[in-house]
Amino acid sequence: MKAVCWMGKEKMQVHDVPDPKILNPRDAIIKVTTTCICGSDLHLYDGYVPTLEQGDILGHEFMGEVVEVGSGINSDKLKVGDRVVIPFTIACGRCFACQNQLWSCCDNSNPNAWIAEKMMGYSPSGLFGYTHMMGGYSGGQAQYARVPFADVGPIKIPEGMPDDKVVFLSDIFPTGYMGAENCNIQPGDTVAVWGCGPVAQFAIRSCFMLGAGRVIAIDRVPERLQMAQEAGAEILNFDEVDVVEALHDLTGNQGPDSCMDVVGMEASGHGLMFAVDRAKQMARMQMDRPIVLRQAIMACKKGGTVSVPGVYASFIDKVPMGAFMNKGLTMKTGQTHMMRYMEPLLKRIQEGEIDPSFVISHTLPLESAPEAYKMFRDKQDKCTKVVLKPWEEKLAA
Amino acid sequence: MSNNGNSSSLSVTQFGVLAGAGALVLYGLIRRSKAGLALATAGGLVAYQQARSQSQSTKQTATAVFRINSTPARAYEIWRNLEGLPRFMAHLESVKVLNDRYSEWTAIGPLDTKISWTAEIIEDTPNERIAWQSIAESEIQTSGWVEFQKDPQGRGSMVRAFVEYSNPLGALGRSLLSVLGKNPDFVVKEDLRRFKAIVEAGEVPTTVGQPHGPRGVHGHIEQALFRETSNHPAPQANQTRQPGAAVA
Repeated sequence: MKAVCWMGKEKMQVHDVPDPKILNPRDAIIKVTTTCICGSDLHLYDGYVPTLEQGDILGHEFMGEVVEVGSGINSDKLKVGDRVVIPFTIACGRCFACQNQLWSCCDNSNPNAWIAEKMMGYSPSGLFGYTHMMGGYSGGQAQYARVPFADVGPIKIPEGMPDDKVVFLSDIFPTGYMGAENCNIQPGDTVAVWGCGPVAQFAIRSCFMLGAGRVIAIDRVPERLQMAQEAGAEILNFDEVDVVEALHDLTGNQGPDSCMDVVGMEASGHGLMFAVDRAKQMARMQMDRPIVLRQAIMACKKGGTVSVPGVYASFIDKVPMGAFMNKGLTMKTGQTHMMRYMEPLLKRIQEGEIDPSFVISHTLPLESAPEAYKMFRDKQDKCTKVVLKPWEEKLAA
Repeated sequence: MSNNGNSSSLSVTQFGVLAGAGALVLYGLIRRSKAGLALATAGGLVAYQQARSQSQSTKQTATAVFRINSTPARAYEIWRNLEGLPRFMAHLESVKVLNDRYSEWTAIGPLDTKISWTAEIIEDTPNERIAWQSIAESEIQTSGWVEFQKDPQGRGSMVRAFVEYSNPLGALGRSLLSVLGKNPDFVVKEDLRRFKAIVEAGEVPTTVGQPHGPRGVHGHIEQALFRETSNHPAPQANQTRQPGAAVA
C-alpha cells in the first residue's frame, strides 16, 4: 500500500510499504477512505517532537471501512463492512483511566510507556502516528491502517453522511469542543481564543454552543481570522496590536473569563522574548515556545480559567507562575478524551447544528502529501485544512 | 536494586575494553545481518571474558509494583498459570509445568542463546502470594515472589513482584545490559506492566510487524535506543487463548 512516511525534518515521502496485518486479538484493519493533515503533524514535520523514527507513517485523523477484525472483537461492536471514524487516542476501555472516561490517559495502549514515564512521570495513551514516546503506532495517512482495541474507539457512521462531514470527529472537532468545555463557560462569558487554525475554528463554535456571550479570536492569517469572524467572533491581529492590552481594553480592564491556547509549542510572537524562545528551541535548550501560554495567563481575569488544547511536548521556560497563583487561576488541559465526545458531536452534525466540512481548503490525493505538508505549514494558497484521499490518482502536472 | 557482591574498581584500560566491546555488540545487533551477528558475538565474548576476570558472580534483586484493575483472585489465577508466564515475561521462551511443585523454565539470552532451569514453587497461598526458586543444581540461581493485595480503597489490587538472581557477569555486565535495555529493574517493571495489560485489556500492546517506510541507519539506531526490538512482545492474534485471559 501507499503510505506517507516521515524521513527526517521537513522531509515527507510517499512509500510503497506492506499492508498492515492484524497483530493482536482486539485489532481491526481499516481501508482508509479519507485522512487529514493535522496542525500537530506540523510539529513532527518541523522536527520539534522527540522520538520519531525515520520511516514512521504519520497521520491520526482518518476514517474508512473495516476490512478485517481480530478474534477478540465482538461482532456487536464492530464487523467487516462497517464505516467508521477512528479516534486519534488509543484506549483499552478497561483500565482505571478508561473507566473514569479519561480515555487519552489509558494505561494499556502505549507499548513504549517507559519513555513517556521518563518525560512525564506517567504515560498517557498511545496515539496513531505520533512519535514512539506515544506508542510508535503507524498512522492513518495510508491506504490501510491497523487499529488496536478496535472494539473501543471507532464510531460507526450512518449511511448517507459524506466523509468530509464526519472525518473531523477523529480529532479536531472533539479537541476544539473539549478545549471549550475546559474553559468552564458560564452563560454570557467572554472567551479569548489564541489561534484560528482548524481546531480553534471548532473551539470558537463550541464556545458559542456552550453559552459564551463573546469570543475574541487571535491570529494573523487573514483568511483564518475571517473564518472566525464568520462564526461570530471578534478578531485581533497580533501583528497589529499588543494582545494583552487589547484584551484589557475590550473587557473594561477585567480580562476574559477564560483564555484558550489553541496554538501550543510553536507559537509566533514579537519582541525580545519571542527571539529568545526561538533561539532556545533551535538550540534544544527548550523544546517548546510558550509565547501564547504566557499571554493567556497574563490576560486572564482574576479567578478565570486557562484551557490548553494546544500541544506541548516537553519543557518551557519563564511561565508567569506569580500571575497564575496570585490571580487564582485554574488550568485545564489534556489530549482529547475522544470517546466522551464522538457520539454527542456526531449527533450535532446529524441534526444540522454544524457542518464541519467548512474548514477544508484543499482536497488532494495521498501522493501530494509532501507538498501539502509544506503548503499547510507555510500557510500558502490560503491553506486552512488538507484532506487526503488515499485511493485517488495524482494528476500529472 | 542492590548489588551485594564485591564491586571492584575499574582501570581505565578495562573500562575502555568493555566500552569498545559494548559498542561492538550494539552495532552488530543493529545491523541484523550475518556480519552483524559475528561482530555482536565477538563483542559479547570480549565483554564476557573481561567481566569474568573482573568479578565473581554477584546477587542482584529487583522489585516492581502496579495497581491493577482486578480482584486479587483473578490476578492470582492468571499468574498461577505458569505456562502463561512468557506472555508477559519477555526473556522467557517457555515454561513447562512438570507437576504441582516443579516446572521447567527456558529463557532466551543474548544472541538467542537458551538457558533452562527447574523452578520449585516454595509457597502458594491462593489469591495472595506465590514464591519460587530454582533448584540447587540449576545452571543459574534465581528466586522470586509475587503478592496480590486488595487495595484498601477498593480500587483493584496491588501486585508486587520481587526477583533475585545471581548474575554471572557482575557489575560490568550489568552496565552492558543497561545499554541494551536488559537491566533487571527495567525488565521486572516492564514484565509487571505487561502482566497488568493482560489482566486488564486481555492483550499486551505491540507494534512488532506493523508496516513502516525505509528505516535507514537512523531509524534502526532509534529503534534500538527506544528498546522496541528488545522490549515489545510478539503479536498475540494467533496465540492460543490461555486460561484466565480476559473475555470481551
